[in-house]
Amino acid sequence: MSKPLKKYWPLFVLPTMAAFVIGFIVPFVYGVFLSFCKFTTVTDWKLVGIRNYTRIFFVNGKLDTTFIHSLWYTCLFTVVTVLIINVVAFFIALALTKGIKGTNIFRTSFFLPNLIGGIILSYIWLMIFNAILAKYSKTIVSTQWTAFWGLVVVVCWQQIGYMMIIYVAGLQNISADLLEAAKIDGANNWQLMKGVIIPMLRPTIATCTFLTLTNGFKLFDQNFALTGGNPGKMSQLLALNIYDTMYGTTGWQGVGQAKAVIFFILVAIIALIQNKLTTRKEVEA
Amino acid sequence: MKKKVLSLVLGTAMAASMFAACGSSTDSNSSSAASSSSAADSSVASASAGTTENVASNSATATTASGDGSVYLLNFKPETDDAWQDLAKTYTDQTGVKVNVLTAADGQYATTLQSEMAKSEAPTIFNIGSSTDAQTWDDYTYDLKDTDLYKHDSDHSLDVVYNGKVAGIANCYEAYGIIVNKTILDTYCSLDNAVISSIDDIDSFDKLKAVADDIQKRVDEINKAGGYDLTGAFTSAGLDDSSSWRFSGHLANMPLYYEFVDDGLEDPTAGEATIKGKYLDNFKKVWDMYVSDSGADPKTLAGGTYNAEQEFGMEEAVFYQNGDWEYSALKDADGKNGYLTADDDLTMIPIYFGVDDKNEGLCVGTENHWAVNSKASEADIKASLDFLNWVITSDEGRKAMDDTMGLSCPFDTFTGDYAPKNEFGAVAQKLNDEGKKSVAWAFNATPNVDDWRADVVAALTAYTDGTGDWDAVKKAFVDGWANQWKLQQESASE
Repeated sequence: MSKPLKKYWPLFVLPTMAAFVIGFIVPFVYGVFLSFCKFTTVTDWKLVGIRNYTRIFFVNGKLDTTFIHSLWYTCLFTVVTVLIINVVAFFIALALTKGIKGTNIFRTSFFLPNLIGGIILSYIWLMIFNAILAKYSKTIVSTQWTAFWGLVVVVCWQQIGYMMIIYVAGLQNISADLLEAAKIDGANNWQLMKGVIIPMLRPTIATCTFLTLTNGFKLFDQNFALTGGNPGKMSQLLALNIYDTMYGTTGWQGVGQAKAVIFFILVAIIALIQNKLTTRKEVEA
Repeated sequence: MKKKVLSLVLGTAMAASMFAACGSSTDSNSSSAASSSSAADSSVASASAGTTENVASNSATATTASGDGSVYLLNFKPETDDAWQDLAKTYTDQTGVKVNVLTAADGQYATTLQSEMAKSEAPTIFNIGSSTDAQTWDDYTYDLKDTDLYKHDSDHSLDVVYNGKVAGIANCYEAYGIIVNKTILDTYCSLDNAVISSIDDIDSFDKLKAVADDIQKRVDEINKAGGYDLTGAFTSAGLDDSSSWRFSGHLANMPLYYEFVDDGLEDPTAGEATIKGKYLDNFKKVWDMYVSDSGADPKTLAGGTYNAEQEFGMEEAVFYQNGDWEYSALKDADGKNGYLTADDDLTMIPIYFGVDDKNEGLCVGTENHWAVNSKASEADIKASLDFLNWVITSDEGRKAMDDTMGLSCPFDTFTGDYAPKNEFGAVAQKLNDEGKKSVAWAFNATPNVDDWRADVVAALTAYTDGTGDWDAVKKAFVDGWANQWKLQQESASE
């Protein structure tokens, strides 16, 4: 490091740091604090202890499964989308790095859905789904499973293109020498994939899994616009469940906040575990 | 050293500007869907990134202000935004008092109000829908009892009284029932063996049902006689979020109202802690009629693919349960919607419920109450009250409320030229004059209204598409009510 940089680095960090603290750390800490309060507006609160947290699970002295339902529903949704998105994106990326004709057009069109906002995308898909399902006298919100697969389709359609681009970049980074050497050694396609491509792609896989995993947990727009949590609250993912508690139930803003804190802890733990698991097997080359 | 100080200053300035940017972007999260206009105060407007702004008056003219208070109105009805912006400008031009009007996007009022209230420049006038809202905002509602507004108020039964305070004053009232296409109905009446000979014969649920059943059976015959595109007697009973409130709110009002009346409630809109669902069988009968006497597939009602207003406007149905707010859309004077219905096609009849059909009128009530923010400064409260008083007494204000916004206003200043012009509102008045009893908006008492309705709609959807039974609807209706009431009381007592 050059001398002035060593001396003045706090000054250069300051703007970003200040923005991060003000836009992120402060609201976060304040949010955690508010989860222990009853509040109408965020500046008008009263401490109530851990009551907000007990209310997530117990309503009127009875076990309430709304939150637990949306929790496992979200987990299932995340697992399914992470698998589908990554597998499909990987193979599309593989196909599009073989130098076939029209590669650029394919890449662009696969990436395009990602440029449309989740709300609009979902309304368009809502029309498509309902038009098709009407033939079977069903709608997207007929059961929690029609809603589930509807959400899976929309989210996959939107995110596969994005992940594909990352995989394409990863694949292009694999040195041709390695592949050639393996081929000379007599490796077939499967061995090439297992022994060279996938190990070399570990960092990319880690990135993509992390992104899809957190995206799955945080999903809101598509859920809000496509199913609205219907039927009942059966297709509410966690984020929508929190939103619904915050604005749907009188005086329950604190409970919504408490759910959000639990939500954060969950996502943080899962993301950390995932990060540890996938980076452990990374190889240097 | 000097350089160091200079760079420090620059750095701080940079950080500060970022601070401002961040602050406003977090604040405006929920209000970004709102449209904002500022009469003279730019700080509020700049905080709502991504909104349209019309500067109604610049601050140079506002320096001649008579008082030092200012007004910030958070408007509830998106369709009246333009009219309120014009009113704000006129008032500022006349008096120099700053008036800022922000309109929340449809369905986003609660969210917008919550984030706006947390700001230092909080709304001084806001909307409360019912006593539930009054409970939520109890710390913020100013007692309007001794104001001119209250004195001009001609129907105190529409006001929200909570915790001993007049928390909100109704600024308009609305009526709903079953909108009827008179012309098509006349065509039906002219057919051989029609069940009735004129619309006046429909005076009970049984009659209505007989007519609807018969129309449903003879759709093709009626189409041939009148050249319509009729698909059913009733419009689709959509159970998606954009339409389900017509049933979980407005139709559910009927069993609630009659039960509250039976229980001797003085004010049916106040509600009670538990209900028995005494009239749910009537509710079922009406609902079954809506579903079976319509062209829509009962299994797809929740999908959001239907648009009842459009069906009615395109003469695909004779009956449409909705309110007088549909009047201008259906009348379609400027042809914007391309609807076929016109003024003389439209009338409204009560939702005959089979309980007291002889005396039943339309359902009259409101969710539009002005509340004044008690946490605002003295000067702002005074400025706000003066502004509202001006709105209901001045020619400009009354003209805007009555003509431009098309509201029926319950103030003693709205007479003569300013009497309500809404056709459906006139029907409500006429039935009232005939001695019929208006049905109060008992559903305003619904505890945790979104949660309660969501459960009722879910059960109703399952019942209608054949996957659930009516008992589940009853359970959601009755048990859900008690549950949510308890929850609401609990959080009120904290």
